[in-house]
Amino acid sequence: MDPQLTSLIVPTEEVAQIEECLGHLVEDTGGNYALLLDKSGQVIASQGDGSRQDITALGALIAGTFASSREVAKLLREKDFRMLFQQGVRENIFIALIEEQWILCVIFNKGTHIGLVKVLTKKATDELAAVLDRVRQQHKGRDEVLGSSFRTSMEDTIDLLFRD
Amino acid sequence: MALINVAAREIHCKVVYYGPGMCGKTTNLQYIHAQVPRDVKGDLLSIATETERTLFFDFLPLDLGKVRGFQTRFHLYTVPGQILYERTRVAVLNGSDGVVFVADSARDKLEENVRSLKELAGNITRQNKDFREFPIVLQYNKRDLPNALSVGVLDKYLNGLKWARFESIASTGVGVFDTLKAISKLVISRL
Repeated sequence: MDPQLTSLIVPTEEVAQIEECLGHLVEDTGGNYALLLDKSGQVIASQGDGSRQDITALGALIAGTFASSREVAKLLREKDFRMLFQQGVRENIFIALIEEQWILCVIFNKGTHIGLVKVLTKKATDELAAVLDRVRQQHKGRDEVLGSSFRTSMEDTIDLLFRD
Repeated sequence: MALINVAAREIHCKVVYYGPGMCGKTTNLQYIHAQVPRDVKGDLLSIATETERTLFFDFLPLDLGKVRGFQTRFHLYTVPGQILYERTRVAVLNGSDGVVFVADSARDKLEENVRSLKELAGNITRQNKDFREFPIVLQYNKRDLPNALSVGVLDKYLNGLKWARFESIASTGVGVFDTLKAISKLVISRL
């Protein structure tokens, strides 16, 4: 099958490493929140201020914004586009791409210097790229993770919930 | 590609509604949002112009609850249909696991449907995915129009790859859930 169509399975151990990396990033920058997204906008892990809500919508919008800015960069004939900075009144967001697959975001306020965020984010993206590499190299099948009867159960749930 | 988070025991899938301007993509999401149980849906997020045309995308997260111990989430998106927004469609399509192509059945929209489907094929291919293998479901919308083309004609021009296809009237909900069920099952079968 087309490798692009197979699922990306992130095992428990790797999620723990990702959370640790995000935790360090928040702590070392003095930022408010860090999250790792898949390029499709889905949140893989997050660390920081626990009161933050609407993470799902935030993930979808950040991934959309990044993909859109990337198209702008292409029109401007940029060769590579990997970082985006949103300056807000209360909070700023720094976004960095990890190997065409994941998006790392750091949300921070005026107390944190952007230069520090840039440097430490670069370090974190290197670490996370190594984790991504390990995730990609694992060849666990879907059935091994989900169980062979998952599909039938899922179809029953879809029939139950998706109706007028 | 779908994302399976083993630690959080979560599965995430992204489905995009694609098609020409005013074909009924947003209407599909609005109907789904109105009908599914409260605990299944999140807020419907729309980034639209002042005239309610989609500018960036609509987004509807659906949480199907635990299936065999895994929390399963479908994220539904629409693209802006107007020709002007081609690059925006590329951005929204990024990382999608399946597409519903919504075609407008009106006689004078056939060319727009064909052009939009061709653009979709190009955009999927540019993401290094095989268009012939990619999970797609067709929806022939606005079947209640007096000048609607026959299903046979629409099949001839749009369904060369023999995808599952559904007739619909999204404004009243006819065919909306049949389409959603079909694409969801197709995406799950490819996990």
